[in-house]
Amino acid sequence: VATIARYPYTEHRLDNGLRVIISEDHLAAVVAVNLWYGVGSRHEVEGRTGFAHLFEHLMFQGSANVGRGEHFSIVNSCGGTLNGTTWCDRTNYFETLPSHQLATGLWLEADRMGGLLDALDQANLDNQRAVVKNEKRQTRDNQPYGSWLEHMHELCYPPGHPYHHTTIGSMADLDAASLDDARAFYRTWYAPDNAVLSIVGDVETAAALDLVRHFFGGIPPKGEFPTPPSTAIAPRLGGEVRRTVTDRIPVPRAFVGYRSAPFGTAEFDALQVATTVLGGGRGSRLYKSLVLDRQLLQPSDGSVIDSWPFIGGASLTIADLPAREGVAIEELEAAYHAEVDRIADGVTAEEVERAAALITSQWLHHLSSVEGRADAFGQYATLLGDPGALNDALPRWLEVTADDVVAVVAAVLRADNRVVVTFVADRADDLDGSASDTDADAPADDTADEDVDDREAAA
Amino acid sequence: VTLVSKRPDVGAPRPWRFPVFERHSAAGGQVITAHLPGRPLALTALVVDAGASREPAGREGIAELVARALSEGTTSHDAHEFAVAGERLGAGWRASTDWDSLRCGFEVPIGALTAATELLAEAVHAAAFDDEALDRVRAERIDEIGIERSQPGARAGEAFAAEVFADSSRYHRSDAGDVESLTALSNDDIRAYRADRLTAPGATLVLVGDLEGVDVEALARLVFPGDKAASPPVTAPDVTLRGSGRRVVVVDRPGSVQSMLLVGHDGPKRRIEDYVAMTTMSLVLGGMFSSRLNLKLREEKGYAYGAFGGFDTRRDGGLFVARAAVQSDVTIPALADLVTEIERMHAHGVTADELEAARAYRAGVFPINFAGVMAVGSGLGDLVVHDFADDHFDRLRERVLDVRKDELDAAAATRLRPADLVTVVVGDAAGFADELASAGLGPVTIVTDDP
Repeated sequence: VATIARYPYTEHRLDNGLRVIISEDHLAAVVAVNLWYGVGSRHEVEGRTGFAHLFEHLMFQGSANVGRGEHFSIVNSCGGTLNGTTWCDRTNYFETLPSHQLATGLWLEADRMGGLLDALDQANLDNQRAVVKNEKRQTRDNQPYGSWLEHMHELCYPPGHPYHHTTIGSMADLDAASLDDARAFYRTWYAPDNAVLSIVGDVETAAALDLVRHFFGGIPPKGEFPTPPSTAIAPRLGGEVRRTVTDRIPVPRAFVGYRSAPFGTAEFDALQVATTVLGGGRGSRLYKSLVLDRQLLQPSDGSVIDSWPFIGGASLTIADLPAREGVAIEELEAAYHAEVDRIADGVTAEEVERAAALITSQWLHHLSSVEGRADAFGQYATLLGDPGALNDALPRWLEVTADDVVAVVAAVLRADNRVVVTFVADRADDLDGSASDTDADAPADDTADEDVDDREAAA
Repeated sequence: VTLVSKRPDVGAPRPWRFPVFERHSAAGGQVITAHLPGRPLALTALVVDAGASREPAGREGIAELVARALSEGTTSHDAHEFAVAGERLGAGWRASTDWDSLRCGFEVPIGALTAATELLAEAVHAAAFDDEALDRVRAERIDEIGIERSQPGARAGEAFAAEVFADSSRYHRSDAGDVESLTALSNDDIRAYRADRLTAPGATLVLVGDLEGVDVEALARLVFPGDKAASPPVTAPDVTLRGSGRRVVVVDRPGSVQSMLLVGHDGPKRRIEDYVAMTTMSLVLGGMFSSRLNLKLREEKGYAYGAFGGFDTRRDGGLFVARAAVQSDVTIPALADLVTEIERMHAHGVTADELEAARAYRAGVFPINFAGVMAVGSGLGDLVVHDFADDHFDRLRERVLDVRKDELDAAAATRLRPADLVTVVVGDAAGFADELASAGLGPVTIVTDDP
């Protein structure tokens, strides 16, 4: 086994609590700046779903010393690219710049961290509310199968749970959002002591740190933050939950979701390997059985089954099963479950080796760009509290054995721990999807928490 | 709160040049190598002059089927075994076609470069192309087209190309073909196309990564066929237009909560004198966040999540298209805004500030765009496809820094043609059909969607 490269970095903490991670990489004259805030859609209050993401849009609308529209135009005129995303547990903002423009990126980020309210007004809010509603229409409401995620959140997590709703939220809640909500949200969550700033690329660490102090040092800490709503939840669903959705779609498609352990746990790591054995790559079991041998499943470039990195009480592992034309969704679903169950008969060392090699190269690919590495440092520091966990991730995956794979599949990918959302075609061309539960709602024995959501783009 | 009020002054950029690369002739093919020290992953890929634009009439989509069938089993490995062999190396297989090329190969940890190139050679020369694999790949592709067409953006793009180009033109149909053309193909057609275009000389092997100690000549011998006969000549595609003047096509989808809007016309091919002026102008119009279209439809009106526009330049022709997905009740005013911005650019060109912003972005973003191994490989493939000189990307960047306002204005006046705008709307026609007929966009044809 080749030595696993560890990415060098230094970690710093400003007096105001801002955590700073700097990782030098001089292969190209570029630098990535990525700021993770410890706030996401699970921190939203009743009646304000979608607010964390709407707020993310407002962060691009100008601040104390940056005019409306200038955030984008300044970064672009530096030859830089930028965006932001919101998910259940966090919100992040990032730009990639020619390396001599690092100061410009830091200045922009500091200005909106410390001075957003100087520029926030009703016109900005109304405009971005309309934009976000169109984002929801474009990416969900006007797309075939576009409601699947909403069903999955709703059925995997009980009402009142912070992951019961999607990050994009509901139209009614977006309509209800006020300027006062935005001000309160900003004052509550946006502070240097609730953020991690990662800088990766062609920089000198000491000089970069001086710049960070210069731009961010004058922003006071908040000191304390409200306790977010509890994400405590039972680790498993305790039953099967099914929903059938009738929609105007080309082929039937089933989504199977399982309640699984949060990001950063041994179970999560074992599941990464198990789902790769099962559904990652064209050499996987599901691909061989359902695509090649039986021709039930429409192939796609991504993994058939994957886990999401939520840190609350339970995360989600989801299989995506679009049927081939003419295939009954029941037959596809049964064949899928049979293949999952067959793991109990054992997994070979060769299968685990294949999965490990794929995971290794995909991880190297992700971290080979300064953007990917800055994002990963922010993720590990924000969600697990330790940027160094990034360097431990691959060794942990590579330690997973064939026995671990069998055990985790038996524990997680089971009939009494799954939500099945099935889309069937409505040939009467009713575009508004209508849903019918064929079982009771999500089990009522939940007392835990989790994070779920959809990634959102600001631009 | 103490913030730094003034935007910082920054130093000079590190000088940038496209990575150094070398061209070799070896074993009956061309090789391009770019040595990028320190990279853990490498690219080994073939670029072949076998894109969709070279497909014979009635064979639309055959190139993409050939690309997909390469990994569906060889004379020594079945499809599953071939996939496992690559994945055990950590090698991700990619094979795809666009209008002007077929590209296939692996991104792979550098230590497995030779083994991955052996698999690439096996796919190209020994793929079985048996009936079972070809039948399945074709059926999967037909299903995939159905899924794609159900998405408003893809359905709009299809309707747009079909209205802009004449039935006889290859550009009338999707580069991946359609159900009709794919159904009409025989497996012998697919095998013959592969034999003519893929295993004959003329391809280019692109190797990018930390190539210290790599025996390039040996890799070339694996991949290239030696002294086989050259491919039969191909002819440039028919790019005849369907018509001129404004007209509208509506794809009616009752119940849609948005209208997908496309507005544009045909456009020039890639190799033209005013390419930099034209594409810098289109950045101002619709190619950046702060473009006119996005500022108008998103940041001012809130009609859309985003609005974009630009040129798609292929080897033999292309398209200009502006697009936005807007809430249904603003279909007509949003279309008016798109058209107005195109007319305004056509008539008045850009401002000095807009030129400076677009130039700074476009010249400045080169180091980011070519920072990675895969991006460098993609750029080298473009050199092959368009027969560009070795200093192409460096000169392109210099030209961007030099381009003048009068050149952009001239490109706006000639390359944008408001009188010939084709409009496509995918949405609920009941909500806007009457107004659309009198919107000044030309005669309206409404087609019922056929999901």
